[in-house]
Amino acid sequence: MQGNLAGGNWKSVAAGAALGLASALSFGQAATGDPEKAKVLAATNCVACHGPDGNSTEPRYPKLAGLQREYIYKQLNDFKAGKRPSEVMAPIVAVLNAEDFANLAAFYSEQKPAPGVVKDPKLAEQGRKIYQEGKPEVGLPACSGCHYDKGEGTSRFPRVAGQHAEYTYQQLKAFKDAKRENDRGLAMQSVAINMTDADMRAVAEYLAGL
Amino acid sequence: MMRLPLLSLLLAVSAVPAFAEVPKQPRAPGIESSGYVWNEQTGEKLEILKLKGDAERGRVAYEVCQGCHKPSGAGLPDGTYPQLAGQHATVLIKQMTDIRDGSRDNPKMFPFAGKHIVSIQEIADVATYLEGLEVPKDNGKGAGTDLDRGKAIFRKECATCHGDKGQGNGQKFYPMVAAQHYLYMLRQMEQIKDGKRRNAHPKMVKVIRSHSEAELQALADYMSRLPAPQRAKPASKAAK
Repeated sequence: MQGNLAGGNWKSVAAGAALGLASALSFGQAATGDPEKAKVLAATNCVACHGPDGNSTEPRYPKLAGLQREYIYKQLNDFKAGKRPSEVMAPIVAVLNAEDFANLAAFYSEQKPAPGVVKDPKLAEQGRKIYQEGKPEVGLPACSGCHYDKGEGTSRFPRVAGQHAEYTYQQLKAFKDAKRENDRGLAMQSVAINMTDADMRAVAEYLAGL
Repeated sequence: MMRLPLLSLLLAVSAVPAFAEVPKQPRAPGIESSGYVWNEQTGEKLEILKLKGDAERGRVAYEVCQGCHKPSGAGLPDGTYPQLAGQHATVLIKQMTDIRDGSRDNPKMFPFAGKHIVSIQEIADVATYLEGLEVPKDNGKGAGTDLDRGKAIFRKECATCHGDKGQGNGQKFYPMVAAQHYLYMLRQMEQIKDGKRRNAHPKMVKVIRSHSEAELQALADYMSRLPAPQRAKPASKAAK
């Protein structure tokens, strides 16, 4: 119990610190990245999973095309710092630096996102309701509050439209299960904890079609 | 025979799901404690009231609120979430800081309003932004069957503080009640009556306790139908 409490406190403090740091960095280096300088890197180190233009075709791996550069930059830094644990990404980012991250963020943010695929329209419709209206009876906010009606996001909250359903589901579950904890102000963990497995699958399916 | 229980024990242990630790609302003393001072302006609240809110920054900071309170600030007509648009900035600051310090219980809102996610400047900004929003007209209302009784109670016992048009009083931290959702006001009055709304004004408790449930319904219905007052100059007088 004591361990848990200490963990919680530490997390809040770390999140607070990360928040300040991230906003300081995101408006500095992320904004100065040069997409041209990322082309070779993207074509060698990232292409296998994320595709030549950031539109991965493998549903396990996220589409990066059109994501906010602030978001991409933060995630790459977090992978390197271990704040977002990933066995796949850790060794890849280990050999890169903040300048590479800024360039990659610029490159992928400028790529055109390919539309996603909805396989189950009925499930997507359930997801639409949760995404746009939330579930007031359990205190689940509408996802559209932060990520906006079309899933386009902002510089503070990432684009989620058109993402592979499998990837979105995986991330929602990771937030709920304390496997991903690098969210802004712990907001996604606070949201995901109120979602059932069925909610997460439905929202993920809906987002694939946006 | 030995293996089976051991195995099931192991399975049971590994099957315990580890969930994210969501920020928990602290608990501060409220109306139930002796020496309670309503709206004591100390600490964070005092600091925020001294800040100048910025509506444009507030619009951005409000993103994390609008999943429940809606981009318009209208909340939900079923009263789950209150209408916030056009509310006095001071009132909004008081309520948000009371939830942050734990003298108004709201464990569901806390994860999206605590210090871990919203700064004191953002509280001031959000309050200024909301105060300047146009009050939506399609708020939740009651049955409309007992409005005369509601009006009589309101004029006699509520208007002194909340204003004859239900406009509230920003300088005194008294909320605008006009155009608020019926079910939200009814729930708050019931919680004030029962001592569950721990940041309530002691005078409110006294007034509300003298009324029956039917009278409170009539009152909430009447207030929900008061038209939103036109504000001469939105967004400024509170957080300066």
